[in-house]
Amino acid sequence: MIELEQITKQYPGQAMPAVDKLFLSIPKGEICVLVGPSGCGKSTILRMINRMIEPTSGIVKINGEDVTRTDPDQLRMGIGYVIQQIGLLPHRTIAENIAIVPRLYKWPKEKIRKRVDELIVMMGLDLEKTRGKYPAQLSGGQMQRVGVARAMAVDPPIMLMDEPFGAVDPIARTHLQDELLRLQKEIKKTIVFVTHDINEAIKMGDRIAIFDAGKLVQFGTPEEILTNPINEFVEDFIGRDRVVKKLNLYLAEDAMQPIGCVVKGNELHNVAQKMKDAGAQVAFLLNDEGKACGQITVSDTEEFGRDIEGLRKRVLRREKAFVQTTTPFPDALSLLLEYDTDYLGILKGEELCGMLSFKGIRKHVYRKEGE
Amino acid sequence: MKWENFRFALFEKAPEALWEHSLIVVITITLAILISVPLGIFLSRPKFKKFGLVTLNILNLLQAVPGIAVIALALPILGLGMKPAIVALLFQSLLPIVRNTIAGLLGVSSDVKEAASGMGMSQRRILLEVELPLAVPIILSGIRTATVYVVSIGTLASLIGAGGLGNLIMGGLALFRPEYLLVGAGLGALMAIFLDRMINYLEHRITPPGMGAE
Repeated sequence: MIELEQITKQYPGQAMPAVDKLFLSIPKGEICVLVGPSGCGKSTILRMINRMIEPTSGIVKINGEDVTRTDPDQLRMGIGYVIQQIGLLPHRTIAENIAIVPRLYKWPKEKIRKRVDELIVMMGLDLEKTRGKYPAQLSGGQMQRVGVARAMAVDPPIMLMDEPFGAVDPIARTHLQDELLRLQKEIKKTIVFVTHDINEAIKMGDRIAIFDAGKLVQFGTPEEILTNPINEFVEDFIGRDRVVKKLNLYLAEDAMQPIGCVVKGNELHNVAQKMKDAGAQVAFLLNDEGKACGQITVSDTEEFGRDIEGLRKRVLRREKAFVQTTTPFPDALSLLLEYDTDYLGILKGEELCGMLSFKGIRKHVYRKEGE
Repeated sequence: MKWENFRFALFEKAPEALWEHSLIVVITITLAILISVPLGIFLSRPKFKKFGLVTLNILNLLQAVPGIAVIALALPILGLGMKPAIVALLFQSLLPIVRNTIAGLLGVSSDVKEAASGMGMSQRRILLEVELPLAVPIILSGIRTATVYVVSIGTLASLIGAGGLGNLIMGGLALFRPEYLLVGAGLGALMAIFLDRMINYLEHRITPPGMGAE
């Protein structure tokens, strides 16, 4: 756990303190995102945790111990540090770059080699091709993967990340974010993550701390912040599409409804009757192997009536109108709009296990909003 | 031009002159490196940056004095021989190395230094393992400039009895023997070119791939 107690940082020659009497307690094993407009002091706060910057007054405690009691170099060796500019040593190979902190800890060579290999693979890089390369020979996204690997080399319990994905292209950024989240599920580190991008904060944060002009404005889970922005500043910072952003917090399974009706390919002629009997608005078509391959709504049956072939064509056009249980709402909504339908089947692996409706999404979000 | 004079200059006189000249160059440059690189490191540390400009200006001034004047000034103070010549040449070879050491060290990207420091590398380690290796190509380029300079100005050292290729040149002038002149100047030029290419090759060899020349 990291605790900041009445931290103030006053840079010489500036009227306002960069950080003003801040109290903040960052729980263990969570990603805590510090977010705010440029110059709000978020990077300064991050850098006071590993003493890259010393506070003017106040105490930073890690696991209850004042960090100023530790030698700064020793302290930093035990804290992963990732910066936007990455800062790989250009004259060292990738393997040597990752090995920097293990070498500071004087690990035996064999142990370092093994750990480096493990990290290169863990970061999704090609082991043989990457090891001996120099940083300048990698793409920006690959370099930041190495940056993250280097910070995790000795498996430090705390990682500080200062806009780590700010300088990579959007596709690589999404990948890096997803991978960090996936890794975090296993490694459960205490991560302090600085960004100016509220969307990234919502995606990455277990908790979000919003700053303005050196002051903490709101601290809470993404859901709390999106649901109850504390003031106009937070509201503006989140943006007008606050509720749409909230959709990112939910997965298809959160609003899953049971399936009313499934039909086989040879039952299409009486699908209307079956749906009526089951009281269902939608039926899902299973192929011969029992896999879901389409959907029929009540309005389809009314539109096509006896025209079984027309109906079949319509049904099969929605062959891909399915989401996984873990698909976030925005992706599901996109599919709903793409297929011009009110319903999506939810798959767990390959198996149909429920359905998601437009109405269900609306209700789920509204309920959360009302809470 | 007589072939006999030419042969005599090249085979009888040149070996010793070349040896003396090399000695002057190697000693001067070694001393210059030993003084300039630490001085450059010192002047590039944040605490002492303020002395940087003053020192560079003093060295600039030393460099601006014509070589022959420095040699002549060294005579009454330090006497005759190789030692005063080396001291005189040393003054003139410090500037390029100090200047390039400072430039090379300050040119190391602050991101790299920040990352290194953030990982817990001590300032000393950062200097030895990050800053100096990255600055070496630029420092070498300063050494190259200084070396070529010392090779050419070194010919004047014979005026105060230091020997070297200057002996051949001065001898040629005094005796009206253009062959001596030719051999002395020619060997001096070849030596300068050879050392220049050699250090240049070193610079490229130690620059890691992908970092480009310099």
